[in-house]
Amino acid sequence: MGEAPQYVAARVQQALAEDARTNELGIRVDIRGDQLFLRGQVSEPGQRDRLGEVAHETAPALHLHNEIRILDASAPGEDEHLD
Amino acid sequence: MSTLTDLRIAAVGDIHLGEDARGHYRKRLEGIEERADVLMLAGDLTRHGTLAEGRLVADEFRDLPLPVVAVLGNHDYHSDLQHEIAGELRDAGVTVLDDDWAVVECGGTKLGVVGGKGFGGGFAGKCASEFGEREIKDLVRHTRLIAEAWQVALKEVQADHRVVLSHYSPVKETLEGEPLEIYPFLGSYLLAEAVDTAGADLILHGHAHKGSEKGMTPGGIRVRNVALPVIGRAYAVYCLAMNGE
Repeated sequence: MGEAPQYVAARVQQALAEDARTNELGIRVDIRGDQLFLRGQVSEPGQRDRLGEVAHETAPALHLHNEIRILDASAPGEDEHLD
Repeated sequence: MSTLTDLRIAAVGDIHLGEDARGHYRKRLEGIEERADVLMLAGDLTRHGTLAEGRLVADEFRDLPLPVVAVLGNHDYHSDLQHEIAGELRDAGVTVLDDDWAVVECGGTKLGVVGGKGFGGGFAGKCASEFGEREIKDLVRHTRLIAEAWQVALKEVQADHRVVLSHYSPVKETLEGEPLEIYPFLGSYLLAEAVDTAGADLILHGHAHKGSEKGMTPGGIRVRNVALPVIGRAYAVYCLAMNGE
């Protein structure tokens, strides 16, 4: 019997947090069968790509779905009045 | 609509600037002086806490046409260069708080800003305590000393308004959306207790990317989570009414 997917997912999540290329906390990692899913949001496409690389290196046997969104935060938005 | 009597505080945290972001954030700040009187940065300004990233952040915020006050976050501590990063920011004209206070003059009003990185430990009834192994005691003690320093700073600072700037959260409400299991790593109620004891107009924090923007301390002080993924815009603006208005 192979390693339980929960441990593989935990190892990928640790790698995303600890690898110097990414140091990204809070990315959700899910494994279903031989499929690996990354979800969350980051500011730059380059960071999304690096997260995919690190995840793939950590679990190369799994098929990676990099579903991380790019956060577009260009407009300042509406003010809030605290009274 | 803001009025002339509002004190307008722009705030954002968790911008996590790396080399590939050079110049990008600066562009988003164009015209900020028309929208706000002060800009507050709630930590995690870098991705890995390297000096190169610290310099990049300093360049992004250098000589802006409004006062900038910052605290650092856990990412900014990752390479043990937090003092050097704070130095780079200060050289760029940014006021960096490290469990102390500063007063910013905004259009004739004195705004006292108190804070620092903060730390975790959890929330009342579901938190670590200063008991058992040295490592656990050290963790809780670290947060307690920070909270005590903020309480002293809030009492010392002489200003018309007082805002607390933190990276970690003082309350659970602004963590809603995060997994419950990691709440103790996202903040501590000791921070809120200290601010409730000494009093403040507003608490700003970041750190919880999947959390919620709006919350309140048990004492009724408004809390805003300004982590960039939470506010979803370059910065949020909060307007405090001037004294008695």
